Amino acid sequence: MSDTTTIDPDLRQQVVDTICELLPRVLKREVSGASETTTLMDDLGMSSTTGLELVLELEDKLEREISVEDMGRDNFETVGSLADYVAGNLLPEE
Amino acid sequence: MTALVAIGTYVPPDRVPIESLADEFELTPMQLRVFRRYHKLGSAAHAPSLSLTELLGLAVADLRLTVEQAARIRYVLYARTFPGVVPYPLNPLHEVCRSFGLQHASAFAVGHHACASGLLAVDLAGRLLASAPPDALALVLTGEKAFTGEARFVPETSMFGEGAAACLVAASGPRDRQLSYVASLRGEFDGELEEVAGEFQRIYHDALGAAVTSAVSSAGLSLSDIALILPHNVNVVAWQRVCKRIGYPLDRVLLDHVADYGHVFCADAFLNHRTAVARGLLQPGDHYVIAAAGAGRGATFSAMVFSH
Repeated sequence: MSDTTTIDPDLRQQVVDTICELLPRVLKREVSGASETTTLMDDLGMSSTTGLELVLELEDKLEREISVEDMGRDNFETVGSLADYVAGNLLPEE
Repeated sequence: MTALVAIGTYVPPDRVPIESLADEFELTPMQLRVFRRYHKLGSAAHAPSLSLTELLGLAVADLRLTVEQAARIRYVLYARTFPGVVPYPLNPLHEVCRSFGLQHASAFAVGHHACASGLLAVDLAGRLLASAPPDALALVLTGEKAFTGEARFVPETSMFGEGAAACLVAASGPRDRQLSYVASLRGEFDGELEEVAGEFQRIYHDALGAAVTSAVSSAGLSLSDIALILPHNVNVVAWQRVCKRIGYPLDRVLLDHVADYGHVFCADAFLNHRTAVARGLLQPGDHYVIAAAGAGRGATFSAMVFSH
């Protein structure tokens, strides 16, 4: 499980930026003004499968694999909470 | 106390890969990756040359009923996901009964709990047998043809596979005794509006988890007493999330067949039971849970606890 106190802030910010960049592509529509407080399901109407698509897109973009073992619905609450999870659960580079 | 006497199964050898659904259901390459990577859905069992009657008949044949057992069967319950599976006046259930000398039994379908109807049928069989002669038996049949788009694929969720199971039920018995049954009916999910589907997704894992924990406590047990969960094969990620909610180890949920068979309608529980016994995952006296969620007109979250 990720521990948010040990997350590299630069990496987390990079993940937030990447999520915001990927949102239009995953949701297949324009998304304006997304930030880390944007709620994925309530504000953007993201489904659980679209959320998983976003994680796969993030893997491609970051060129790193993300461990999804501990991932739950709560991690998809906001852009920021997803960034916390992803930044804390990147698998080591081979 | 209702008991399972024997389970017969049939899974055809052919498979269709998830990718074969891409054109019909407009699945993007990324959605296919999500299905394979997270849902762990890869293929579905497929029996292109078998009719529904033949499919069900192969599961009954696998039971190897004796003449004496067949004579004791008073009820044949066909538990299915879809309300109608053949055009009138065809009736595969009655055809199967004729093939196996079961015309004397009362035969009817149970379908209002969609994919959770198999559990309803077992419970109903037990209740019917409670007022029948002590040696009476019931036969619960499950399995359907993936014959329409809706019967092949559930958007964002699952793909259906073809197969069948036949479960012989008695009012009491020494093995696989039913200790409890919980079915949570959620009529508010009757509808196909986007908001209804979204809310259904939001509550799914909590509701299914609650059915499991409620059935376990109704049986006078706690989750740590449960050796195994036999799930519906909807997908792996759904069960990961249910397990996380209720604090049950995922490696004790038998998900072996999700990637290979797909979601075999109401037959999942019985196919998984067969596998659990074959793999020695259930020891005499072990408690286990059969659980399923059904969606269609409304939603049902069900769980049953048994003692092996």
